Amino acid sequence: MSGLLLGVVASFIAAALALALGQRGRRLVATVGVAGAGLATLGSCVVVAQNLLGTLGTQTLTLAQVPTGGLAFHLAFRADGLSAMVSLLVASVALAVQVYSVTYMRAAPRYPSYVALVSLFTSAMLLVVAADDLFVLLVGWEVMGLCSYLLISHHWELAAARDAAVKAFLVTRLGDIGFLFGIFVLGTAADSFRISEIQHVAGDLTTGAATLATLLLLCGVVGKSAQFPLHVWLPDAMAGPTPVSALIHAATMVAAGVFVVARLLDVFQAAPATLVVLALIAAVTMVGSALAAFAEDDVKRILAWSTVSQLAVMFAGLAAGGYAAAVLLLVVHGAFKALLFLSSGTLTNVAGGNDLAAMGGLRSRLPVTFVTMTVGLAALAALPPLAGFFAKDAVLGAVQEVALRGGALPRGAAWLLLLAGLVTVVLTAAYCTRLWLRVFFGPAPTNERVPTSEHGPTGQDALSTAGGAHDVEASAEVSALMRWPVVGLAVPSVLLGLVALAPMTWSGWLGGGPADADDRSLLHVSTTLVSTLLVVGSIAAVVWFWREHGQRDPAELLGRARPLIRSGFRLDDLIGVLVVRPVWTLSRAAIAGDRDVVDVYVSGAGRLARLLGGALRLAQTGNVQTYLSLLLAGVVVLAVAAWGAIT
Amino acid sequence: MPLLYPLLVSTLLFAIGVYGVLARRNAILVLMGVELMLNAVNLNLVAFDTWHGDGLRSGQVLTLFVITIAAAEIGLGLAIVLRLFRVRAHVDVDRVRDLADRDGAGPETGAGPEVEIGDEWAGDRTGEPVDGSAGRTGDGESVEEADRPTQPARSGG
Amino acid sequence: MTAVRVLFLLLGVVAVGSALLVVTTRRVVHAALWLVVTLGALAGCYLLLTAELVAWVQVLIYVGAVVVLLVFALMLTRSPTAPVADLTTANAWFAGIVAVAVAGVVGTTLVAGFRGEVIDLAGASIGGAEAIGTAVFATWVLPFEVLSVLLLAALVGAIVLSTARARRRDREGIHDGVHDGEGSG
Repeated sequence: MSGLLLGVVASFIAAALALALGQRGRRLVATVGVAGAGLATLGSCVVVAQNLLGTLGTQTLTLAQVPTGGLAFHLAFRADGLSAMVSLLVASVALAVQVYSVTYMRAAPRYPSYVALVSLFTSAMLLVVAADDLFVLLVGWEVMGLCSYLLISHHWELAAARDAAVKAFLVTRLGDIGFLFGIFVLGTAADSFRISEIQHVAGDLTTGAATLATLLLLCGVVGKSAQFPLHVWLPDAMAGPTPVSALIHAATMVAAGVFVVARLLDVFQAAPATLVVLALIAAVTMVGSALAAFAEDDVKRILAWSTVSQLAVMFAGLAAGGYAAAVLLLVVHGAFKALLFLSSGTLTNVAGGNDLAAMGGLRSRLPVTFVTMTVGLAALAALPPLAGFFAKDAVLGAVQEVALRGGALPRGAAWLLLLAGLVTVVLTAAYCTRLWLRVFFGPAPTNERVPTSEHGPTGQDALSTAGGAHDVEASAEVSALMRWPVVGLAVPSVLLGLVALAPMTWSGWLGGGPADADDRSLLHVSTTLVSTLLVVGSIAAVVWFWREHGQRDPAELLGRARPLIRSGFRLDDLIGVLVVRPVWTLSRAAIAGDRDVVDVYVSGAGRLARLLGGALRLAQTGNVQTYLSLLLAGVVVLAVAAWGAIT
Repeated sequence: MPLLYPLLVSTLLFAIGVYGVLARRNAILVLMGVELMLNAVNLNLVAFDTWHGDGLRSGQVLTLFVITIAAAEIGLGLAIVLRLFRVRAHVDVDRVRDLADRDGAGPETGAGPEVEIGDEWAGDRTGEPVDGSAGRTGDGESVEEADRPTQPARSGG
Repeated sequence: MTAVRVLFLLLGVVAVGSALLVVTTRRVVHAALWLVVTLGALAGCYLLLTAELVAWVQVLIYVGAVVVLLVFALMLTRSPTAPVADLTTANAWFAGIVAVAVAGVVGTTLVAGFRGEVIDLAGASIGGAEAIGTAVFATWVLPFEVLSVLLLAALVGAIVLSTARARRRDREGIHDGVHDGEGSG
């Protein structure tokens, strides 16, 4: 318990210190950031150790009660297996990112605020993980959203970064409205805001209340975890610095949605309708984003779409009740996606941008990155025996169980999920192979001119200009501080999956899951075989295309549909038409109404006063005799009046 | 004699004096109107004194005082009129309109008011010598003082 | 109808008549001269009302000094001796109305207040020099002294107003208004 809280507090203090130190001690700021993340990692290691040794159980701690006049809420925290595992993921990825950023963001002008925000973000995410009260979770949730906004727009000189930050903020906030009301409904239905108590009474909730609450919560989850239709912000959020993408938009914040659903899975399983909705969303998102990743030309955007797709797989697992499987995928995905993003930072430096067209044949120039990225991509594509393979198959197996034997999710939805999952497996392997081939093999780009990707020269911060890359051509590999975090992340990507081999171990470690999900092992032979075959087949197809057609872009297989898919199926344009333009029109109407209707009265009052004043001015002719005449006339009138009054 | 005789005479004189003050153009004629009014008052005082007959003689003494004051006043008034004449080269009372509340109004705006209702606050509309320089009959600094109390605010901007 | 009454009425008519001429004549100098007639008639009225000293002072000061001053002023302001067409302003009609109203109000008040009163001229003590002098220096000496101060002030003021400019103009030389008059020169 105290380890978790240590993480929250240490990161927060690190953030405050970094802000206070400011530009004066940049080396000191770097130390503070790394120390904060290091302490958090230490704390979560302690908690994980307690969990593995079985001495943790489920501990809760209530610091204060906040009376509201109605249903009170508490400053309550919780430590169980789920919190321990996820907090270890968060803290270690944060540590890796902080270490990586020491070199990567060395030349950044606002490094201290960057470190402070990353630390604040870590603190908020750890708060979400450790929260036992829905409102404490909400606080962490919202602070994460704020940090995401500020960090995406770190390079606020770039219009793309500013726009992306606003887009992310607005879209996630839209979801958060539903999230807030979901909290209210759930709290009043369960008569408590504490997660432990909610989990106890989850079975007693009426279906209607549970469905309403979970649907509303789903709004926030869909927004935060970038699922259809609120996924539009994540690819654009790649305009932020690469370490930020690694931490926030790959490993942790977007996984917070998955975490919340996993936490409250008892309540979700009491509402089959929500599970169906979740399954549908997951299915659509899985396939669509995998297609988009296949069609993309920007390395970071490919990884972003891939994140969306993998999150959808996690949600598929949760919809099918595969608690342990989905959480395994969450942790594993966090590791290898962060690995991939950090490695892509190196690629960006060397190629002077994120565009695939600027990369090619980098195998010789970046040997270490080649190895790490290969590991990461293989894990993503679910090649055995890497962790991604085990996790993906665990999820597919859980879905298959529900499809064959039934569960909270209706069977039809389960079959749909299974089908979508298999298609996604194929597509995932395809785009991973495509990325691998185009970056590391094939001809190097002929001109050394810096091609700017369509999203601006992002990641130009550290080893910045193409001129600099040109100079280090011989050994473009990166410094130790950037290398070791990446290597460190490669280890769980490779090894963590092996935990699935020992039955019940992972579920045992997690503990505290929904009641009917415990006795499923994580290995299902049939799905494993099918998916492995599909993966191998897909990789082979892409490689064959590459070889046969002179190392052309395999995405040409998409033919004429490619531009449509690459733009995210033009969902942004649809949102523009349906939402943005009406809002602009409404705001213009409001302005016009205010200016032409309301202000008319205000300025009209002023004009009327002027008019009257002008009329009165006519009397001031400057002619003294006129003044005197009027004066005397007045006196006469007064005298007559007085006379009349007296007599 | 009936008291009313002198009283009515004084009333008529007073009214005629009022007319003279209000209707005459020349400043000196205005001052003559003022004298008529003062004389009417004097007649009134004397009549009442004689009728009342108290030992204090307040009416007649006051009349003497009024005569004295009138003399002093007309001396000073004529000094002012002469001053006006030196500056403006005329002594027409209704051509001296500097007290008018008009935008860009100055001396010599004997015409009707130029009304600009709703005009912006053009407190100092500099460089508008429509009337500004016309009044300066070669007397630079004297113009600013007593004749145009608002001008420094306007032209100083 | 005693002789006093008749005389008074005559003098009254003369005074009012010439006052009317003062305010309506088109020649400026004539106005001053008609003013003399008015003031003289008034002096006669005072005499009839047994205010001898006042009558004498009226002639001395008003006719002798004030009118002379007025004529001097007319001369110094180069008033035309020929008839001037627009000696009356455009607002004269309104001034006439006001004058009539004033006359009406005051007259009505006086008539209402003093309708039947009669001045007892036979029993009134004559306002000769001795009587008025005693009154001034016994009862009214303080206002008298203040009045002298007032006269001094008026004198000083008149001098200042008349000469200050000329002195300054001599001091600063010829200074025509070439500049646009920003500030105080």
